[in-house]
Amino acid sequence: METRPLGTTGQESTICTFGAIALNWLEQEGADQMVELVLDHGVNHFDVAPAYGDAERKLAPKLGQYREDIFLGCKTMERDYDGAREKLEQSLERLDVETIDLYQIHGLEYEHELDEITDDEGALAAFRDARDEGLIEHIGLTSHGNPELVRDAIDRIDDLESLMFPLNPVVSGKDGSEYDYDAVLERAQAADIGTLGIKAFAKGPWPPTDELPADQRPYANWYQPVDTQAEIDDRFDFAASQGLSSVVSPGDPKLVKMVLDAADQFEPMADPQQRSLIERSRHDESPVPEQLHH
Amino acid sequence: MDVPATVRTALADQPVEGKRCLEAGAGVGNMTAGLLDGGPAAVYAITDDREHAQTVRDRVEGGRVAVFEADLRSMPLRAETIDVVTAHGLFNVVPPPDAERIVSELTRVAAPGAHLVVDDYSPLGEHPIRELFAVENALMELARGEPALTFYAADHLQSLFEGHGWSLERRKTLLDPVPWTESHVQAHLDVAREVAADLPTGTAAPLVERAENLAADIGSVDAGEMYSLAFVR
Repeated sequence: METRPLGTTGQESTICTFGAIALNWLEQEGADQMVELVLDHGVNHFDVAPAYGDAERKLAPKLGQYREDIFLGCKTMERDYDGAREKLEQSLERLDVETIDLYQIHGLEYEHELDEITDDEGALAAFRDARDEGLIEHIGLTSHGNPELVRDAIDRIDDLESLMFPLNPVVSGKDGSEYDYDAVLERAQAADIGTLGIKAFAKGPWPPTDELPADQRPYANWYQPVDTQAEIDDRFDFAASQGLSSVVSPGDPKLVKMVLDAADQFEPMADPQQRSLIERSRHDESPVPEQLHH
Repeated sequence: MDVPATVRTALADQPVEGKRCLEAGAGVGNMTAGLLDGGPAAVYAITDDREHAQTVRDRVEGGRVAVFEADLRSMPLRAETIDVVTAHGLFNVVPPPDAERIVSELTRVAAPGAHLVVDDYSPLGEHPIRELFAVENALMELARGEPALTFYAADHLQSLFEGHGWSLERRKTLLDPVPWTESHVQAHLDVAREVAADLPTGTAAPLVERAENLAADIGSVDAGEMYSLAFVR
């Protein structure tokens, strides 16, 4: 599988990152099988979080076996020093590792959170101390919040080395500044920050729960994913063609193998075909009267 | 309103800012939105379809757009007044006998040095959706004596405009493949049904049935290319 530099970390990440939340939906035996499969495909970057149920614990056995083959990303939703330190220690214990390669602020959503984490008593201070102690190697941030806020974070966190954010043709087709993750990508690239794409396989929201109850959704993702090999190939090629360092696999284990196959066969997508994908989702999503044209 | 990627790409190299622009065949207003986004002095959006005119008015707000219901073969605009002319997905709904008259009229209103963008679909190869369009065309020919759709090759439109003094600046591919989604297929089926209402049942019914079966089989399909030609006068 192709690899790309992850910003200034020195890590060459495979263009597919394994989103280890998928392990949460599997028994230990199945989780072990999945990790082996992912490694068979050459994937060398894993991402996990304490917020993903049992995923950390289920990753631990195989992580112990293959630690040196895996660049391990983890994250915390805590915003203050003590909370972040506590969660980091908990993750180290659950994952049963000495070091986490990339530790990320998880799910930045509001302006006040950015103030909190950058404060002297904030989570980033805990991250930096942990880095000095060798408990973590690099600092990152994840968000599917306002792109403008993410750009502010780039400006305000000098030692930020990776960013995880949504990128897919549905979002690329929208004009509002609240969808402008392309600008985030551009800014991150200019600052030599590694970029990890999430929601690459999202098709749209689930139908309202009175039409489709949550427990009857066919996939564990909180959005409705594309789920055929052809669609997944297109979505992967689109995301990886935007220049992301790596594309994170989706949360439902049923989709992971198709994404690994897509990543193995990645081909840069030509611009007219990228626009075709953008057009398709635009028409699917917001039909206006009598759409004969593109 | 969001400007489609096709429109953005077609206009990326066009000088719209501060210019007087004409969208010939406004459709649902996609190109009008794109022109407006470029900061023009004015946009004239012309369509002969009342519903489309209303849709465009509803979708774009502000003082810089004038939506006209008018015939492109004879437009209520003065000669040599427009700086940027666009025909985005127009010619495929122009029957061949009208094409020359529309090109001539677009040329008349264009100022010296004007820019022109013509975006349309290449003729389709062997795809099931071509058959749906063929049935739609058959119904339209029978009812109104002209086809609903004509996919002009880029070379053909290029020659037509060059014959009126335009010079080709560039050719781009906007979409390859073209995604004909379920909403497109449904819209074309709706046109077929609407036209069929003007025909004797014995003539129309088998064709409508064929169109319905085709639409059901097709669902959505990727087929063909959408191109963009840019000219200068």
